[in-house]
Amino acid sequence: MAYQLYRNTTLGNSLQESLDELIQTQQITPQLALQVLLQFDKAINTALANRVCNRVNFKGSLNTYRFCDNVWTFVLNDVEFREVTDLVKVDKVKIVACDGKNTGNAAE
Amino acid sequence: MASSANSNPVPKLYRSVIEDVINEVRELFLDEGVDEQVLMELKTLWENKLMQSKAVEGFHTEEQAALQAAAHQQAQQATQQAQAQQVLLPPQQQVTSWQSTRPTVTSAPQQQVIVQDPKILQHMSATGMSAAATAATLALPTGVSPYHQLITSQGNLSQNCYIKTADGQILQFVRAANGAQYIIQPQQQMVLQQQVLPQMQPGGVQAPVIQQVLAPLQGGHPQQTGVIIQPQQIVLTGNKVQQNAQVMQMPGQPGQVQQIQQQVQQVQQAQGGAAPGPPQQQAKQQPPMMLQVDGAGDTSSEDEDEEEEEYDEDEDEDKDKDGGEDGQVEEEPLNSEDDVSDEEDQELFDTENVVVCQYDKIHRSKNKWKFHLKDGIMNLNGRDYVFSKAIGDAEW
Repeated sequence: MAYQLYRNTTLGNSLQESLDELIQTQQITPQLALQVLLQFDKAINTALANRVCNRVNFKGSLNTYRFCDNVWTFVLNDVEFREVTDLVKVDKVKIVACDGKNTGNAAE
Repeated sequence: MASSANSNPVPKLYRSVIEDVINEVRELFLDEGVDEQVLMELKTLWENKLMQSKAVEGFHTEEQAALQAAAHQQAQQATQQAQAQQVLLPPQQQVTSWQSTRPTVTSAPQQQVIVQDPKILQHMSATGMSAAATAATLALPTGVSPYHQLITSQGNLSQNCYIKTADGQILQFVRAANGAQYIIQPQQQMVLQQQVLPQMQPGGVQAPVIQQVLAPLQGGHPQQTGVIIQPQQIVLTGNKVQQNAQVMQMPGQPGQVQQIQQQVQQVQQAQGGAAPGPPQQQAKQQPPMMLQVDGAGDTSSEDEDEEEEEYDEDEDEDKDKDGGEDGQVEEEPLNSEDDVSDEEDQELFDTENVVVCQYDKIHRSKNKWKFHLKDGIMNLNGRDYVFSKAIGDAEW
């Protein structure tokens, strides 16, 4: 099973909201919505692994760190994200990272 | 596309993901007997939400591109008209003197109309509320937002006047095409709809006391203002005060309702306490909020006596806020103000910058941390980015 990690992104949340609307108008069942989300998990994991190839560097100060159930959660302050093309600065960022070693994906 | 050498990979990625998902679930939909139409609706909803979020730039389907092109042309024409009329305004500004403007003036030159619209827009945009949210919260009958009404009725019936009240406040008085009159207070965060005032005298303009829309109480959901008070026939003369304030409650959190009720009561008391009945009746549309000082529903009844004493103090505050919900499941968010740490409040921000990814390796040496991440989606300052690899350093 692919990580459900990416459901809390713009893409994932907009999908969930859309599915919720369809459920409310009873055009689809919740079960079907769940299937759609599972399919979304697979698709986004595959897409990120295969269709993206850019590097980003970042630097900042670490405010908190947490490692629980093999999931790292960091909160950084005053961070600069640097890509070849541009630079993004934020006061605070939360990083949630799942284990990337054996995701169970057939891709790669 | 030859001009954009470094094209943003995000829209393409998202589009491809959407296509993949839709195609994959088509079978699932058909198996369940759901019409293809619903599938298309899902896709449309999904894409629309992505566009609305503005997290991705340049994301739209072909149809939307055509619509945007048409909308652009219309917008350009409108701005040209506005600019042309703005030029004529400066010499005319003296005409809009404070006390000579009346809402019933029908022969006001058209130039007056245009000036205020950009300012209104600025006011509106400064408040941070979208047109849709404002329209929704005002419960306007038509689907048109107040901005559109003001803008589209430029040459017709809307008249914008400045009115200076006896208090010295400067209110912007707008009369839209549908006859409803709006009073816009720059300091306030909302445009409140005002029913037709019986008489407006030039000397002592009776400005309605606009009970401001209560600002979001907990900062978590700025778009869900808890209460809108629509004053009807408020006559602020000092002689008599009539107020039939209608408290309309938006679907807010239950904990906010009690505070809202308290503020409403303060408002009413400030104005002579007239007609407290209707608001309370409407306020009770929510599940009954009763102050429970003791009895069932305590969470600390099993604890020792010492703890009970402390709990009672907290519980009284809780019950005031919560309204005595059984079990007090929602205690933590309400008590968060008592916490010393600020982090929980900070985490309730709207655009919290989030990176969702996988880690290859996390390394630490003393207080120096190194991060090796991959396959991530970032939302920074409201915009989306993606990466296949990310390397970072931080000091703890």
